[in-house]
Amino acid sequence: MDKTSEEASSKGKKRQRDQQPTDPQTNQPHHQIFSLEDNLSFTDTLVALRMMRAQFPRIDKVSIQPFILRSQLYSSVKDRTQVDRELESLRREKVVRIFKLNTGQDDHAIMFLDDYLNQMENVVKRLEEKEGDQVFKWFRTHVIDSKLEPSIEHQELYTLLSLGGMVKDGHISLLINAGLLTRQLIDPNMYWFAIPNIGSVLKGLSQGRKEVLSFLNRRRYKEMMLASMEKKCLRFSPLDMRFHLRDLIGSGHLKTVQTSTGLLVRVSKD
Amino acid sequence: MWKEIGDRERGILRPKSFTTRIKSNRIRTLQISNHKDIVSPHRASINSLQVDLTEGRYLLSGAADASAAVYDVQRATDYEGGGLIAKHKCLFVVDKQHEHGHKYAISSAIWYPVDTGLFITGSHDHHINVWDTNTTQVVMNFKMPGKVYRTAMSSLATTHMLIAAGTEDVQVRLCDIASGAFSHTLSGHRDGVMTVEWSTSSEWVLVTGGCDGAIRFWDIRRAGCFLVLDQSHSQLGRRPTIPEHSATNKALTSKSLSSGQNLNAKPRAQQRKLANGNGTKQSPVGRMPAKGSLRQRLHPGMLSSLDRATAHYGAVTGLKATEDGMYLLSAVTRSYVTKDSMHLLDPEAAGSDSRLRLWDVESGCNTLVNFETVRLQAGKPIQLATSQDSALVFVPCMTAVKAFDVWSGNTSQTFRGHYEYVNSCWFSSQEQELYTGGNDKQILVWSPPRLIADEGDEGPAQDRDNWSD
Repeated sequence: MDKTSEEASSKGKKRQRDQQPTDPQTNQPHHQIFSLEDNLSFTDTLVALRMMRAQFPRIDKVSIQPFILRSQLYSSVKDRTQVDRELESLRREKVVRIFKLNTGQDDHAIMFLDDYLNQMENVVKRLEEKEGDQVFKWFRTHVIDSKLEPSIEHQELYTLLSLGGMVKDGHISLLINAGLLTRQLIDPNMYWFAIPNIGSVLKGLSQGRKEVLSFLNRRRYKEMMLASMEKKCLRFSPLDMRFHLRDLIGSGHLKTVQTSTGLLVRVSKD
Repeated sequence: MWKEIGDRERGILRPKSFTTRIKSNRIRTLQISNHKDIVSPHRASINSLQVDLTEGRYLLSGAADASAAVYDVQRATDYEGGGLIAKHKCLFVVDKQHEHGHKYAISSAIWYPVDTGLFITGSHDHHINVWDTNTTQVVMNFKMPGKVYRTAMSSLATTHMLIAAGTEDVQVRLCDIASGAFSHTLSGHRDGVMTVEWSTSSEWVLVTGGCDGAIRFWDIRRAGCFLVLDQSHSQLGRRPTIPEHSATNKALTSKSLSSGQNLNAKPRAQQRKLANGNGTKQSPVGRMPAKGSLRQRLHPGMLSSLDRATAHYGAVTGLKATEDGMYLLSAVTRSYVTKDSMHLLDPEAAGSDSRLRLWDVESGCNTLVNFETVRLQAGKPIQLATSQDSALVFVPCMTAVKAFDVWSGNTSQTFRGHYEYVNSCWFSSQEQELYTGGNDKQILVWSPPRLIADEGDEGPAQDRDNWSD
């Protein structure tokens, strides 16, 4: 999005980010008015989140709001415990929402609350033209606002939705069809919150991961300079190389080594 | 070092902090021992290690070829290399040839906490044997319903001598040595129980970790478990001294932060959930009718069996409580299919990721410390160890043992020496030595380096104190 942030990121992934926030949205009407002091103090995690949100690749076929993977955060901020804790406080303050993805390996996607609400709006607009049901409004006002965890129990969902009106089981099916909830495979009474319309992107995510890893594994020494890697285009993933590299470095599949000619990316064998 | 001794003499430095300083300096220089070697007679992987708690002198090891052996780690049996390397051979070994020995692998061997006259072994042949050390005879035998994964006895117990046994059966059984019978059966887990540990602060509290990912705290004086750790309950680091928000009753399933929910509300909530059928599976554990408005009240102690909170998305393979009893470390690995093959534990998990978590026992919250583990061995219980001041935790990660700093999660040291997976480690705080045993049938000793020059000239001196029986 910004030229400066592009350059800053291409210099290296593991540096601590400087305090240059790119704030795409200046007003946040859904949140309380923080004091000026609170608004101006940023944590490393928040800065990293904002920066990565700004660098989210544009996908033409699907309209999707930017999301960040947890492993990407781990690759940018050095101290993982700090990341976990700051993420937890951001989640409690309702700045971000965390979703568990089903692409395996304990993936979590982090999305700013406003982006999520926008995404929901886009999806719901298309559906509500056909159905015209109130359930999406109830979901938004009662459930999203009060339930901050990534999963919810059936009974609790029922009670929270009932605060809006008479809930029937067909309503919950509507929510599942819209992609806002998915059932858990381990426990039939629990649901995961999900990002609607994200299916193709997730497919691209897992395929892209495989492609990057196989590309490096095919090379003789299983390594490549970061600079030349970034220029490569991925065939199977709509997300760009930088997204995948951050994710794989943060989850431990790749590691970066500092050499005299720059950063080297290597497949980690452990 | 000399300045510190001088300060200690003059009273500037307190004796306790002096010893702690020396100990932590020694721990930081741990490496594979250059003066001590344990000769293991086992012919299969070593599953369990423990040094006795009374003297810190005898090491007990249990192996997969149904053998258990005891070594004296303070006195060597002979010396090699011109007196520089002390070899510790086993004092005795009991194996399959023994008339009452185990037939299959021994998964857990522990000392009787009061003295070294007894030791207890649990094996995959469904038996727990209590052995007399001096005569190497089995004095008591307990038959379990499944393979025994771990046994534990409380080191604080003064009123009971119960052996807690975690088996592949969903119930945890407590065996009483005094009477020879089972005294308790604890139900609540939904899959096999891989780890059991007694609390280090109370002789009545038992912590168990199951293959279903749940960690439960049981007070054996009453029914049911009083705490189920939930990974979504988290706190940021150490607890604040004054609570900021009202602590909820963590044993209930309600995840919203409502306070003061009384226990009577629980059965009614369950009733409503089941009455709304719709193809949701009936809870297999509760004694609820399938539908109808009967208000069957469960015993309050059994309500915990309805709590399906999980501490992890995988099987809990290792648990360790810190010495002060305030924190609990848990290690988990992914497993795809649970025992009854009806539920996939986490089918979305494609890798063999594992993790370590630190829990605050008092509040039951996850302290969100991120330990940099990538892989832990799957399918087998592993034994973690903590250093005495609980600043470091030693975790067997595949073929290496990593020492993590407990509060920051950073890897402080990595011990690579085993040729195959490491199963157990034990830290002896008296000697600041780490003993590790693995699938390569070796027991390795890691100790602070000893300067060779000290011992070289004299050789092992004739020790006239070695006369005690």
